Amino acid sequence: MTQLDDLRRAIRESDPQLSRFDPLPRIICLDDFDRGMCGWTQLVGNYEDTLDAMLPGYAQHSHAMLSTLPNWDFGSHGGVDGSYALKIATRARKGAQNVAIKRLTFRKAGPIRLEAYFTFKPEATELALSETDIRSFGFLYDLQIGDMSGPGDRVMPHLRFLNAQDGQHIQKWQFKRRTTPIKPIGSAGKTITHYHLAPSDWEDLPGGEQRLCYNEIPTKVNWHYLRFDFDLAAMQATRFQVNDRVFAMDGFDCIRIPAMKNLWCMLNLAFFAETDTDKRAFAYLDSVCLSGDF
Amino acid sequence: MLPENLTAVVARNETWTGESATEPYEAGWAKEAIVFVRALKDPAGSLPKARIEISADGMHWCAEGSVFELPAKKDAVVFQRIAHFGNFLRVAASLQDGSEITVLVTFHLKA
Repeated sequence: MTQLDDLRRAIRESDPQLSRFDPLPRIICLDDFDRGMCGWTQLVGNYEDTLDAMLPGYAQHSHAMLSTLPNWDFGSHGGVDGSYALKIATRARKGAQNVAIKRLTFRKAGPIRLEAYFTFKPEATELALSETDIRSFGFLYDLQIGDMSGPGDRVMPHLRFLNAQDGQHIQKWQFKRRTTPIKPIGSAGKTITHYHLAPSDWEDLPGGEQRLCYNEIPTKVNWHYLRFDFDLAAMQATRFQVNDRVFAMDGFDCIRIPAMKNLWCMLNLAFFAETDTDKRAFAYLDSVCLSGDF
Repeated sequence: MLPENLTAVVARNETWTGESATEPYEAGWAKEAIVFVRALKDPAGSLPKARIEISADGMHWCAEGSVFELPAKKDAVVFQRIAHFGNFLRVAASLQDGSEITVLVTFHLKA
């Protein structure tokens, strides 16, 4: 630790908003949804000439909301330290998904760290615990090397907490290495699509079983801490932590597909929710901190 | 900081038949909204008026009182101004058998 590191740490730890994060030296963004949408938007699928060309997986997506986590039985839950959180809601159809995304580029291919406070819950349409109604909560990066730094790939690390599948309460972290076949869109030869959140090809993260605090009725939530470290130079994950658990990442890998002609230095981050019943799944982000070592 | 101002696409290329509505949209932070509805294809059959609905919990809905014509042809656009709507907001319409419309519905919300 240098004097600068010590000073930086002291300043950050005296700021309640930053003190609950453990960022790398440079904060790329600190998104607290009490300040608004903070650049998080809907993941729209690719299309050309007509929206009918969009894959159904993307067509189902809708816009995230600024939510107080309102409940019919006890009112607004609120966030970790304010009234609002970002809410990602699926449709009420088994297998439905929704995604919120932030689109950036990187200026140095080095270590980055994603931290977030999150929770999830199904829509409280029943007076039942409903702990197996949400299939998953997860997040991903969509990355590509710089235009002069190749050869290299478009790299998409994905992690999801598989909460339940077909009524079984599974509770484990998974990753994926494969996406669907790349499909051309339209006739100009400029656009392609693939569905990286397809339900197929998820693999168990070794040692990735984790029981999260779900609470005791379908409306109460507790916030969880998440941290994911990734090295943009090696395009490899280096560390993953959720609450008190740190997971070995030796067995983890990413979706890797050929670099695309319009995506150089891309740094997209996204969170998603997926329902396992004909009931809406809600994923909530209280705040997100993305930092880098540059 | 400027007050929050959000364009939310709440239905994109969705074909409405029978009892149809946009997904519940939580916007209690917003004091006002304008809803735009654009027909992406030529509608079929006779079209009902659309209505604004509000909800305390996103599950139980009340008619807010605002009703408006749906767009009569492809690329026609209609809008409805709304204020003081509490928390959850949606657009709903009851289409007769044989009627359908493919819509782009956007909410323009301001704190």
